[in-house]
Amino acid sequence: MSKRTLPRLLQTPAVILLLLWMLVPLSMTLYFSFIRYVLNSTRRPEWTTPSLSNWRGFGNYEYVLFHAKDFWFAVQNSLFIVGSILVLTVIFGLALAMLVNRSFPGRGIVRVLLISPFFVMPAVNAVLWINMILDPVLGLNGLAVEGINHIIHGLKNFPLIGSFFSMWPDIVPMSFRATQTSAYAVIIMVTWQWTPFAVLIFMTSLQSEDESQKEAAILDGANAWSRFRNLTVPHLARPIAIVVMIQSIFHLSLYAEIEIVSRGNGNKNLPYLIGEFTSNNIGAASAAGIFAVILANIVAIFLLRMVGKSMMD
Amino acid sequence: MATVSQKSRFGGAFWTILAWVIALIFFFPIFWMIFTSFKTDADAVKPEFLFTFTPTLDNYLNMTDNYDYWRFAINSVITSTFATLLALVVGIPAAYAMAFDPSRHTKDILMWMLSTKMLPAAAVLYPMTFLTKNFLGIFDTHFLIIVVLCLINLPIVIWMLFTYFKEIPKEIIEAGKMDGVSTWGEIKDILIPLAWGGVASTALLTFIFCWNEAYWTVRLTTTEAATLSKLIEGNRAPEGLFFGRLSAVSTAAVGPIIILGWFCQKQLVRGLTFGAVK
Repeated sequence: MSKRTLPRLLQTPAVILLLLWMLVPLSMTLYFSFIRYVLNSTRRPEWTTPSLSNWRGFGNYEYVLFHAKDFWFAVQNSLFIVGSILVLTVIFGLALAMLVNRSFPGRGIVRVLLISPFFVMPAVNAVLWINMILDPVLGLNGLAVEGINHIIHGLKNFPLIGSFFSMWPDIVPMSFRATQTSAYAVIIMVTWQWTPFAVLIFMTSLQSEDESQKEAAILDGANAWSRFRNLTVPHLARPIAIVVMIQSIFHLSLYAEIEIVSRGNGNKNLPYLIGEFTSNNIGAASAAGIFAVILANIVAIFLLRMVGKSMMD
Repeated sequence: MATVSQKSRFGGAFWTILAWVIALIFFFPIFWMIFTSFKTDADAVKPEFLFTFTPTLDNYLNMTDNYDYWRFAINSVITSTFATLLALVVGIPAAYAMAFDPSRHTKDILMWMLSTKMLPAAAVLYPMTFLTKNFLGIFDTHFLIIVVLCLINLPIVIWMLFTYFKEIPKEIIEAGKMDGVSTWGEIKDILIPLAWGGVASTALLTFIFCWNEAYWTVRLTTTEAATLSKLIEGNRAPEGLFFGRLSAVSTAAVGPIIILGWFCQKQLVRGLTFGAVK
């Protein structure tokens, strides 16, 4: 056996398994995206089974792009959700990492408390937030607003200031299951879950920062802001890029949260739309699936260019 | 100097308190879930019992009757455990070969493996259902979920193990080769004992990811192999009538994993950044 054969042999199972996992379902999606394939078609029973004789060319793509009701909304909404989560987690993550990256009493416990949300399973995260916290009647959101209204009502009976408060309207708690706001609920709960991840990465990276460089800067009379601006920020550029990349991979395919918050009502992303198509129009689902793959690849290429090279060192 | 240290002591106290307050705010939803799990369903939605109530264990004791909790929990344990083991069995030899006998394609293979993680699951939802239901007949089986969980985590497993293995001096492995130790012996007697910490934390992290997976475990099961993710998603609590019991079952579903997670925070960084941040 030559020197090279064995290592290749040891990698083979992993490579073959991943190759099958990637290629088999994806080529089926590609095939279905070019045929008419409608599971519950009573009018055209021949469309209910996949067959080359139902060839539709780019018809499904055209349908998805120009005629399907929610496609562009779903694309826009996917990007809105991912973008908002990225901005929020990076900002909170940086601020918290700086805050925790010092020695202080109980630092270990603070770290444990901060990291915990990351390990909550997505289904529990969504059920917990949308019911017990954000619900406008029974959740803490509703209770808090009710409490504030109660206090204002009490103040109305006071002399002097009462006339001021009597002009206040009752506050109506925000419902997060409504068409316009269900995306916010998803953004809030995912940000809560993934900020700890950003904190952890930024903290790890802050710890590897060169302290002697910082001390030299202090001796040279650089103030805190310029030390942060000229030493810490460049040092954090790579971890920020990594946080953005990894979260993009995960959040472009959010599903459970969207399902639980509003069943996609007013808040669909691309995976959710594909899921809806899948209950009937497989042709359209597959075409939308190919678009999702393209979108993910654009993001992936862009991000791998940015960080991929340095990852091998 | 005195003024500087006094100023920083005051500033230090402020930042310490701020750190504590923010940490408590972040933990609050989890605390609230645990807290509510000790209330009856009726008490859980009454503002007058927000903080003062008679604690009860009923929600935990009735978990089996209310939700058939253990059936789902056992499915989660079985699928996550075997998927983790399978991923290690496939991943360790691959990572060994890549770390100690790299070819000029190793880098590309690793990058390609990473790219399989970026494939949106929804794009292949129907083919997967079709294949497993109509073609292979393994829909809703433990076997299917184990294989799928293994495959989606395999890239992370190999990347993590690769970064741990690369930290072992090549000479130690070569020395084994000189002594005529077989490849299997090298992995079993030299590599794994040396990289034990790395292998263990890879396993722990993979187990957590498997446990929390919420797309395939929900879409590719109905009853037989349904995991805790499916249980919770199926009980999204219409109008919050069951906050107490829902909190109890949620706490039982995430509690063990949060505690496991505390033990591998450091490894989480390496696992999720594919070794890019150490």
